Amino acid sequence: MKTQSLIDMLAKGAGPAPRAPVLQRMAPAVALGLLGSALFALMSMGAIPAAMYETPAPWMKLGYGASLALAAGWSTARLSRPVARTQWPLRAVLIVFATMLALGALTLVISAPDQRMAALLGETWLTCPRNVVVLSLPALAGALWAVRGLAPTQLRAAGFNAGLMAGALGAMGYALVCPEVSATFVAVWYSLGILLTGLLGAFLGPRLLRW
Amino acid sequence: MPLETGPNDFEASLKPLWMRAQQGDEVAYREALEKIASRIRGFLRWRMQSMPDEIEDLVQETLLALHLQRGTFDPGLPVSAWVMAIARHKLVDLWRRRGRRENLHDALDDVDESRMAAEPVEECAQRDLDRLLRELPDVQRQAIVLTKIEGLSVAEASMRTGISESAIKVQVHRGLKRLAQWVKDTGS
Repeated sequence: MKTQSLIDMLAKGAGPAPRAPVLQRMAPAVALGLLGSALFALMSMGAIPAAMYETPAPWMKLGYGASLALAAGWSTARLSRPVARTQWPLRAVLIVFATMLALGALTLVISAPDQRMAALLGETWLTCPRNVVVLSLPALAGALWAVRGLAPTQLRAAGFNAGLMAGALGAMGYALVCPEVSATFVAVWYSLGILLTGLLGAFLGPRLLRW
Repeated sequence: MPLETGPNDFEASLKPLWMRAQQGDEVAYREALEKIASRIRGFLRWRMQSMPDEIEDLVQETLLALHLQRGTFDPGLPVSAWVMAIARHKLVDLWRRRGRRENLHDALDDVDESRMAAEPVEECAQRDLDRLLRELPDVQRQAIVLTKIEGLSVAEASMRTGISESAIKVQVHRGLKRLAQWVKDTGS
């Protein structure tokens, strides 16, 4: 086929360009990822007692997860276009991480010296990052599917940011079943789980996101 | 067609066409694609001196990808930057398939703009898109042939086939996507 024939074919009946394709693919991935993570967490681990929702602990985790999912979702959306303007979204991601780390450090500093190890390790530090990663997998699959249908050109960065977003959504699901209360715990172990999901995304990006 | 040389001329002549095309102006879209094709050809001719026979294949692959992804154009950026990012991505991907990894970035970044002068659109690819088109599943092929080769409107194609208008659009899109995938996989 001559290139001119291809151009004629592409132009004929082309209609207007699709509107907001990035949002159209990302939104269902986020919704299904969050739902999958929450359902899987509740079914496999059992919800925290309702009384805990009167304390700040679950809200802090949900707030952290939601802000990070928003910031990383923003950067992932930008990286899903051939020319990515990522300066502001990446700053937003860093600000969310830095805020949580500052909060965790502050909590550690103001707690009594004999409470510090408890604040840092809680009772579940060994399983928390792993649980966050596992609960992120539905969102990671959804996010990679969404980005794969778009036009990323920095595949590793796109995969990493998609992984961070999925990790944050997985952390939100885990918040529904996690008994820990300290901000230090969340700042360290939740963040570690989220970063591991990000690294998994960065590993998969160049393999899965080609178009 | 006037001969463009500098990147700014290219952007200035492409942008208005492209914006009309994004709104659904087919004539503007065809003209924009022609300008883009000759630009990409110039870019690839310089970059693919070791495989000149494959330039036109990659031009076509890039055009197909660009069409399928035209919703990802960001109006806040130059069209030419978006187009060249896609062409570069396709070129890198071709090199990766050929196992040529060395000096990729060096080779890509110092593009000499004057080498990217326009070329007339007349070339023929090695890869036979017509043949691939014939191998598409019937519904997809039919939807593409009716609306994009015979030039029927979606409504007319819907009447002719008894398939709903939205289903026709979906089949056209799926068919082009599958074509793009084949083109990428066969890589001649």
